[in-house]
Amino acid sequence: MFDRIIAAAASRWFRLVLVSLLVLSLQTTLFSEVRPFGYAIQILAIFVASAGATHDVYVGAIAGLVSGFMYDAILATPLGISALVLGVVGATAALMLQPFRDPTWWLRLLVIGVAAALGEVVTPLLKAVVGLDGWLEWRILGAMSVTFFAALVFAAPMISLARWTLREKAIYGSR
Amino acid sequence: MLLALASVFFITLDLSDSSSTSQIRRVFSTVFSPIENVSRVVTRPLGGAWNAFREYDDVVAENNRLQEQVALQEGAAVAAAASVRLSQELLALNGLPTLAGINSVTAQVIGETPTNFSQTVEINQGSNSGVKVGMPVLNAAGLIGKVTEVFADRSLVMLVSDPDYALSVKVVTMSSRTPITLPPLETQDAPSVDSVLDTADTTTSTSTTTTTTTILGFTPSATTVPAEVVAGGGSNITVPLASQLAVRETGILEGRGPGVRPIVRFLDASTRASAIEVGAPIVSSGGSRSLAPPDVVIGVVSRVVERLGTAGPILEIDLVADLSNLSFLRVLLYQPITESGR
Repeated sequence: MFDRIIAAAASRWFRLVLVSLLVLSLQTTLFSEVRPFGYAIQILAIFVASAGATHDVYVGAIAGLVSGFMYDAILATPLGISALVLGVVGATAALMLQPFRDPTWWLRLLVIGVAAALGEVVTPLLKAVVGLDGWLEWRILGAMSVTFFAALVFAAPMISLARWTLREKAIYGSR
Repeated sequence: MLLALASVFFITLDLSDSSSTSQIRRVFSTVFSPIENVSRVVTRPLGGAWNAFREYDDVVAENNRLQEQVALQEGAAVAAAASVRLSQELLALNGLPTLAGINSVTAQVIGETPTNFSQTVEINQGSNSGVKVGMPVLNAAGLIGKVTEVFADRSLVMLVSDPDYALSVKVVTMSSRTPITLPPLETQDAPSVDSVLDTADTTTSTSTTTTTTTILGFTPSATTVPAEVVAGGGSNITVPLASQLAVRETGILEGRGPGVRPIVRFLDASTRASAIEVGAPIVSSGGSRSLAPPDVVIGVVSRVVERLGTAGPILEIDLVADLSNLSFLRVLLYQPITESGR
C-alpha cells in the first residue's frame, strides 16, 4: 500500500499537478501584474505548449487539461473552458512538430509561440459558444502577439521545466 | 476526444449552477491560496520593478496633476459633503433608503485578472466578512462592479467594463441644457397645498429665493421660505413645474471590455435622444430585483447614439471610477429583497 502511494506520488502526473500549481501561482501573481501593452502574458499556456512540443499529442493534451482545470478553478469562467483551450494548445504544439523527426531549437520555439497564441483565439471563441459574448474583438491580435513574443522569451526555461516534469522514468520506478 | 468531452461535461455542469463545481472551486482555492500567497511575496519585487520601469514618468506627471486637482476640489468637496448630508437627512426623514444606511466592508485589491478575456480583480475580503455573490463594489468615486465568486477570505469582483456585466440604471437629465434661472413666483400664482391642508388658524407671509445652477441633474427651482409666521393664515409651498423637473429614464448598463466605454441600452423607445444630454449623471436604479441599491453613482453620459425605428437611443458612459487604478474598495453588504435569506 505504502509503496503504491510512493509510486503514485513519484509519477509524472503527480509532478505535473505540483508544477502546474507553481506555474499557475506565477500566472495569478507576477504575470497578472506584468502586462506588456496592457496584455497579460499567458505563462501557463506557454508551459502547456512546451509540454506538447517536448512530448506527444497525448501528453500535451493531458498537461493542458490538468493545468486548465486548475486555471478554471480560480477564474470566474465556467469550469472546463480553460481546460479545453489549454488541451487544444498542448495537442496543437505536439501535432505541429509531428512531421519533423528532429526539430531544431528555433522551430520548437516558434511552435510553442504559435500554439500558445492560438489559445488567445480559442478562449474568446469558446466563451462565445457558451454565451459569454463580447470578447471577439481586434484586441485578440494584441493578446496573441504579446503571448507569441513572450513565448519566444520564456520557452527555453519552460521546455526544461516541462521535460523535467513529464520525464518518463521516476525515482521510484513508476511507469 | 475523451478529454474534450470531459471539458464539455464540466462546462455544462458549471453553467447549470451545479453545487459540485462550487465545491471543487472552494477545495482548490483552499489548496492554492497558500501557494499563491508565497508566490505573491516572492514575486512582488519583480512586479514592483516592472511597474517602476514602465510607469515612473507617468506617476510623477499624474502626481503633479492630482495635487493641482485636489487644491481645486477642496472647496467644492466641503459644499458637496454638506449637500450629501442634507440629502441623506431628507431621505431618512421620509423613510427612503440611503447608501449611508447600508453596512459595508473595506477591501484591498490584491490581484488583477490573469487572463486577457475577463475584467475582474481579486479582493482580500470574503465570506468571513459577510461578502456574498452579487454584492455591489464601490471605490471613492463610484460603482466599480459586483462580487462574482466568494471564498473564505477573498473574493473576485467583476468590473463594470466586463461584457458579462449588466445593471439596471437610470439617467437623470433635464428638459433644458442651459442653466435655468426661474423668476421669482408670486405666492398666489404658485401651486399651493393650501387646499389640502387645514391651516385656517395660521397666516404666513413669504419670501422667494431664486437658484441658478450649472450642475446637470440638479433642478433648481424657486423656493418659498416663510419669513414669519402670523397667526390666522396658511403656509404656502412652491412646487416646481413638471416641465422643470429632472427627467428619469431607465435602461440597462452593459460593459464592453477593457478600454471601451460601457453603454446603456433598452431605454424607452419613446425617449427622444435630444432629451438626454451629454454629461447627464447615470446612477443605479435600485429595485427589488436589482443587485445594487438605488442612487449609486456610476458615470456620466459621454455620447448619445440615436437609432432608427422603434429602437431607443444607446448611451455611451464615462465611468466616474478609474478602473485601471484600483486599490481600496468598499463592498456594500446589500442584497435585494428577493435575494435576502439565501
